[in-house]
Amino acid sequence: MIEIDLHDLSDDADYADSMQQGSASMTRSDSSNRSSSSEQVVAEIVYLKDNVAIHPTQHAWERIRGRLKLIKQGGSLLMTWIPYEGQSSSARLSEKDKSLYTIRAVPFSDIRSIRRHTPTLGWQYAIIVLSSGLAFPPLYFYNGGLKEFLATIKQHVFLVRSAEDANIFLVNDFQDPLQRTLSSLELPRAVSVANRPTSSVARSESSSSRTDGEALDKNSTYIQQNGRQRQKHNDPRNLSIQVLEKFSLVTRFARETKSQLLRESHGDGFISNAMRKHDKKPNSYSFAVESNDVHKPFEDIPVPAESLEYDKLSLVWGKPRQPPLGSKEWSTFLDSEGTVTDSEALRKRIFYGGVEKGLRKEVWRFLLGYHSYDSTFVGRKYLVSIRKSEYETIKNQWKSITKEQAKRFTKFRERKALIEKDVVRTDRSIPFYDGDDNSNVKCLRDILLTYSFYNFDLGYCQGMSDLLSPILYVMEDEPESFWCFVALMERLGPNFNRDQNGVHSQLFALSKLVELLDNPLHNYFQQKDCLNYFFCFRWVLIQFKREFDFEKTMRLWEVLWTHYLSEHLHLYVCVAILRRYRSKIIGEEMDFDTLLKFINELSGHINLDATLRDAEALCICAGENGEACIPPGTPPSLPFEITSMYNQQDDDDVL
Amino acid sequence: MPSRRRTLLKVIILGDSGVGKTSLMNQYVNKKFSNQYKATIGADFLTKEVQFEDRLFTLQIWDTAGQERFQSLGVAFYRGADCCVLVYDVNSMKSFENLNNWREEFLIQASPSDPENFPFVVLGNKVDIDGGNSRVVSEKKARAWCASKGNIPYFETSAKEGTNVEEAFQCIAKNALKSGEEEEIYLPDTIDVGASSQQRTGGCEC
Ligand SMILES: Nc1nc2c(ncn2[C@@H]2O[C@H](COP(=O)(O)OP(=O)(O)O)[C@@H](O)[C@H]2O)c(=O)[nH]1
Ligand SMILES: [Mg+2]
Repeated sequence: MIEIDLHDLSDDADYADSMQQGSASMTRSDSSNRSSSSEQVVAEIVYLKDNVAIHPTQHAWERIRGRLKLIKQGGSLLMTWIPYEGQSSSARLSEKDKSLYTIRAVPFSDIRSIRRHTPTLGWQYAIIVLSSGLAFPPLYFYNGGLKEFLATIKQHVFLVRSAEDANIFLVNDFQDPLQRTLSSLELPRAVSVANRPTSSVARSESSSSRTDGEALDKNSTYIQQNGRQRQKHNDPRNLSIQVLEKFSLVTRFARETKSQLLRESHGDGFISNAMRKHDKKPNSYSFAVESNDVHKPFEDIPVPAESLEYDKLSLVWGKPRQPPLGSKEWSTFLDSEGTVTDSEALRKRIFYGGVEKGLRKEVWRFLLGYHSYDSTFVGRKYLVSIRKSEYETIKNQWKSITKEQAKRFTKFRERKALIEKDVVRTDRSIPFYDGDDNSNVKCLRDILLTYSFYNFDLGYCQGMSDLLSPILYVMEDEPESFWCFVALMERLGPNFNRDQNGVHSQLFALSKLVELLDNPLHNYFQQKDCLNYFFCFRWVLIQFKREFDFEKTMRLWEVLWTHYLSEHLHLYVCVAILRRYRSKIIGEEMDFDTLLKFINELSGHINLDATLRDAEALCICAGENGEACIPPGTPPSLPFEITSMYNQQDDDDVL
Repeated sequence: MPSRRRTLLKVIILGDSGVGKTSLMNQYVNKKFSNQYKATIGADFLTKEVQFEDRLFTLQIWDTAGQERFQSLGVAFYRGADCCVLVYDVNSMKSFENLNNWREEFLIQASPSDPENFPFVVLGNKVDIDGGNSRVVSEKKARAWCASKGNIPYFETSAKEGTNVEEAFQCIAKNALKSGEEEEIYLPDTIDVGASSQQRTGGCEC
């Protein structure tokens, strides 16, 4: 291994210096030192970032901060990450931990891919996967700079975005035919991009014959058009943005081509696409596509032609919400064995009307996935009895912990205390959980504590008691509630991941959906620096549990759980609510604080039926484009649906 | 309008889950205590008008989820804070021991311009419980910690009975005001997170 520590500039005096070197190398022409490099092995720092940290444990505050560098030596690019000395944020992290995690000169030929995470909240981070399949712990970019990191790498090695996941960058990957096609589209991998800043619009893609001068002119026109007076040239940050923008243009191009093909083979326009997507015949929807204005739900938005295909169209949807499914009708969905013969029809029925109170106990088990639709009466009875004893077994794992044991089991004590603090403040105004020494409150505690043993890694997290409470209320049975909760957490568990990635990805998708479905509102949020959608955090984390009363929450949940139009209907519900109040939000020029307060205070004032109808319409309108806003693996999608060779379920804790 | 006076004071309340952050805030602003506040999800704030000498200020008090797991969200709203209130439960050693983590986490995420002198106030809450018999953190111990961190003002409170709550928040407001004025320059009410993080890109605080 190359002795890279020689070139490790570890004090700040060298920092500015190396930054200069870094930007200099970015703007230098590609060919300059490639040939001479074999002679003298000069190491050159082409990227340097301070305050890049790893979190070796699950505790956010136990971190090791260090300096990340890209070093060019000879013909190869190396990466190093060296922790700072004597700077442990916590006494529990020893120097040994630090040296364990230190990354010493890894050549990029050993790196298989880089996964980028750019949550709207919290820090950006990257996961470096080696050819061996091993990965370094996530590197958190506390001071930003992930984009530059990738852009710099791209100047020196062949880096291409995975077709499966726009956040995965493959290093030196020439295998995949699709990627080969993409790379033949002249991706800007040469450093010369810096000297010839190209416009970030698509036309530059085909401009190989253009001279540098022309490109420059076009570029400055573009900058002026956008009202930006600042000189963009030679600014590495702009360079990287351009590179990445080009990237995304190519991926978008690929995606659009794909959806174009789908469209062509499935009739015209997005509506038929939405139909196909959900295996529906067009007439099973009660709206019609009109070319003139019968009822225009989007009349107040000037829609840029690019962002919506349906600006000329309008929708008529007259389907009022239906009465909830009752037991008589329910029995028509079951055959003599008790199998649900047409689960699609059932889900559709519940989507439009929900379930009657008394029937929830039975139907929720299916919606949640605890019972499968093709199970029989007999099979279910058997499952229930097995699950009951399984539950008791798991419960016993903590029940049997003695006082003496607990004394030496801090994690258990802390978990138990946290749960106990939360169950006593969960839905106490509902008669079911009312009063001192309420046995249902104890039951909540037992289930949550048992769950935290069933899924010890995830443990207990605030918000879980909100999700469990209606389930216990409906099931009125401890083991059954537990297993239904387990099924729910299969989908919503990522909401409670330590890195908050589950929520981040949903808020990200939400921002994309608003951009698609209400561009002016998106622009407004952008202008007010509200694009992190943090004000929707509570909505997403616990599925609107705090926004509606208990009864309405249960109605909403059963509709969401049908996954009928989309697995992510809840995101369209978010858009629907935001759209409902858009004129107030924009009219009163709400800033981030005011908006957060406003949204928090909407609790209890949202009309559920109207919102659901809006959400349905928005979801249908968005069609394929809407789906494309939602990255694969975004909760509540089940993680195992992913087919890519890369694990996209964001369980970075495992990595 | 650089002459415009700063009238909004932003205060962040931090501390372990269940120590009484939400209760303290509500006791101060609404003069109410309820056993039924729900666990805070995400963040929320309450505002209260306070008067100092002849000037009127709006105290904006931010309450957050206390579980460690939600800490990374802090970055979204700690910025621009004028004072940070650290709360622990005098009946829980762990909640006291975590004060240091909360303090450090706050300084990292809020990145105030002068971290050395950023005003904190520490509250030891729930002193009413069991007439103080179940208390495990002594006042002496708490005060010693506060002294070691640059003489942080310390109060013992009960959100339930309202003990010392008014006094504590007056001190909090005063400190917030001081930190705002020391900065001299007018700061907008909302802090442009995007821009400030870009400026910081090249910097190194180590
Ligand atoms: N006896 C007593 N209980 C309190 C006090 N402050 C809060 N609590 C209780 O402690 C629990 C947690 O309070 P909360 O304000 O929600 O804590 P947070 O999680 O820090 O916001 C609730 O059951 C409150 O009723 C106090 O001063 N005395
Ligand atoms: Mg709270």
